[in-house]
Amino acid sequence: MLTLFARLLNALNSDSAPGQVAFAFSLSLFVGLMPFLSVFNLLILLLVLILRVNLSAFIFGVMLFSLIGYLIDPVSASLGEAVLLAPGLQETWTSLYQNEWMRVLAFNNTVTMGGFLIALVSLLPVTYLSRVLIIQYRHRVLAYINRLKVVQVLKASKVYALYRTFAE
Amino acid sequence: MTKWIRWSGLLGFIAVVTLIALLIILALPWVFKASIEYVGSKVAGAQVNVDDVDVSLVPLGVTITRLQVTDARQPMQNLLEFQQAHADLEFAPLLTGKAISNELSVTGLEFHTPRSVSGEIIKPVISDDEESETSFKQKVGDALPDADDILARETLRTPAAKAALEAGWEKGQADVDAALAGVPDSQSLKKYEDDIAAITSGRLESVEDFRERKARLDALKKQFSSDRKAVTAARDTIQATRRDLQAKLEALRAAPGEDIAYLSDKYQLSGAGVSNLTGLLLGDDARKWSAEALYWYERVRPYLESDEDELEAEDEKAPRLAGRYVNFPTPDPWPSFLIRNARLTGPFDGGQLIISAVDITNEQQVTRRPTVLTATGSKLQRIGDLDAVLTLDHTGEKGIDTLTVKISDWAMAPLKLGVAGAELASSRVAIDSKAVVTGGQLQASARSVVRDARFTGSGQTLFAKELNQALAGITGFTVNAGAEGKLTAPEVSLGSDLDRQINSALNKRLKAKQDELEARLRKKLNEAVTDNAGQYASQLQELTNMEGSLNQRLERLQSMASTELEDFKAQQEREAQEKLDREKAEAEAKAKAEADARKDELKKKTTDKLKSLF
Repeated sequence: MLTLFARLLNALNSDSAPGQVAFAFSLSLFVGLMPFLSVFNLLILLLVLILRVNLSAFIFGVMLFSLIGYLIDPVSASLGEAVLLAPGLQETWTSLYQNEWMRVLAFNNTVTMGGFLIALVSLLPVTYLSRVLIIQYRHRVLAYINRLKVVQVLKASKVYALYRTFAE
Repeated sequence: MTKWIRWSGLLGFIAVVTLIALLIILALPWVFKASIEYVGSKVAGAQVNVDDVDVSLVPLGVTITRLQVTDARQPMQNLLEFQQAHADLEFAPLLTGKAISNELSVTGLEFHTPRSVSGEIIKPVISDDEESETSFKQKVGDALPDADDILARETLRTPAAKAALEAGWEKGQADVDAALAGVPDSQSLKKYEDDIAAITSGRLESVEDFRERKARLDALKKQFSSDRKAVTAARDTIQATRRDLQAKLEALRAAPGEDIAYLSDKYQLSGAGVSNLTGLLLGDDARKWSAEALYWYERVRPYLESDEDELEAEDEKAPRLAGRYVNFPTPDPWPSFLIRNARLTGPFDGGQLIISAVDITNEQQVTRRPTVLTATGSKLQRIGDLDAVLTLDHTGEKGIDTLTVKISDWAMAPLKLGVAGAELASSRVAIDSKAVVTGGQLQASARSVVRDARFTGSGQTLFAKELNQALAGITGFTVNAGAEGKLTAPEVSLGSDLDRQINSALNKRLKAKQDELEARLRKKLNEAVTDNAGQYASQLQELTNMEGSLNQRLERLQSMASTELEDFKAQQEREAQEKLDREKAEAEAKAKAEADARKDELKKKTTDKLKSLF
């Protein structure tokens, strides 16, 4: 956990593009809000591994959004139920249902569908917002923090040495 | 763009996925084995053992070697076992955790095989619902005692009636004797008649003579009055005694008949007592088969029914909400578990049993097709041809489960009837049955035609011998069974022409025996009646005669009492009148004689004058 937090701080403090960190964080929405053990999440993992995004941010995001997902699962289920049972979409869903790989993605599961829609809708806002926050963090908070005496003392400590180890 | 792609990540992904796949492949046999044993044990209520499970990747499938399902009620026996089963598995559904097989084939299927170790998990406490009341078997199994035993054991009317007659007679005799003591006998009556004749005969010589006779007559009349009262009282006593004894004698004469009726009913000589023999004959087996079927049905049913509330309740307990799968119409549904076709074969009863099944699943609301199991076997040693179809239809709101069984030639094992040592030694049975369970309500019917029936028996009691004689003449019968009501406690009805045949045959036998026993009983009872009734009947006749005699005496006494004595004056007047009448008659006779003489003289004179003229 400490390592993960150190990696995350490193990512935030490094020269990594804010967009890469923010997008990794956003992709974790899908894993966090949808049932964890699913083929869909495996595809998200593939995407995260192939794309040059920050894995620490992704893992942190998965933990965070899983917690949120646990709380909003009932909302996800209700949303998924409503969408899957919407009369106007029945033909679409039935058509998709005939494809076994679509069924492998478990699109007909209410929590999966609801979580996916919430994640999809949140993807861009979360990406944008997190990117802005990262930039602001680096621009204001990090500069301010670096100026603090206590931080300068900490930088001389073993904790900072550890941090640097992962930052290398 | 290329700065967004990390090709090393693809390798990492492949490595991770491969590692996961390897782990799964290595773990799958263990997972399958553990799952089969766990779920199987839960369903069977006893151990389910699998020797080995192999998973093949191309084509994807699983092979199970030797599976044993313990019979929970006999842990040292397998309910069934098979040597090998192979099922192919669809890959895509497996990725979503759904086990779907297109074809399952099971070979070496056997039933009721012995186990080397006990397969017991728990020892369920089975409540014994056996009836505590005296069973029909016990009732009809009682030996019939002989006539002497019956007469010695039973409180009958005949002896009581006999005692009452004897007591009545003794009392009546005493009363009659007492009453007759004051009654005049024949000699007394003769003397009375002589006395009256003496008083009333002869001429009254004087007034004193008249008075003296009248005094004697009045004394006699007083005696007559007293005697008459005594005779009347004796007659009344005799009449009352006779009526009482007559009634008691009638009661004694009727008592044997009433006793016979009572004994006939009590000792079930009518044959009606065997009317439920069909229940005895097939009831135990029917109950056993029903219990067996019900046992398994109750275990399987929870896995067939879809209870949304239960699913949701389980979901609520999960770490995260699992959601619900919305299923859309498709020819290729994916329930959690599905075997599209199964074929099980194995040696059975000297032949080959083939069980085919389609759409075996625990989620029929997904497949929207019922599970259908068909068991067929031809020319089997004990049951001939077997054709059974079990349809478990839980696609709708209410499940409808239907079972039809046809057996062409079942050689029923020797079956103890449990009554009077009788046994159905051998028979051939053809069965056609159907059972439907809807919403926990059972509606079942079965028709069995039994032929080549051969009954034997070793009972030594009268009833046993008679029953065996009756059964010996029966070679075929039909049995109609029905069950209706709540599945766990249906109302079972059994009807058969066996009852009618046994009743008919047994009634003939029993009728003869009944007649014989009745005759013996009647004879013994009648002897008791005759010994007394004959004696008392003659004595009653004597009483009747005595009553007639008393009536005659009474009449004589009354006649004598009406005798009157003429007084002296009347006698004088009568005598004067008689004298006057006599003199008058003499005068008339004299006058007539004189007239006749004159007439003759005139006639003579006339004749003489006429002669002179000519």
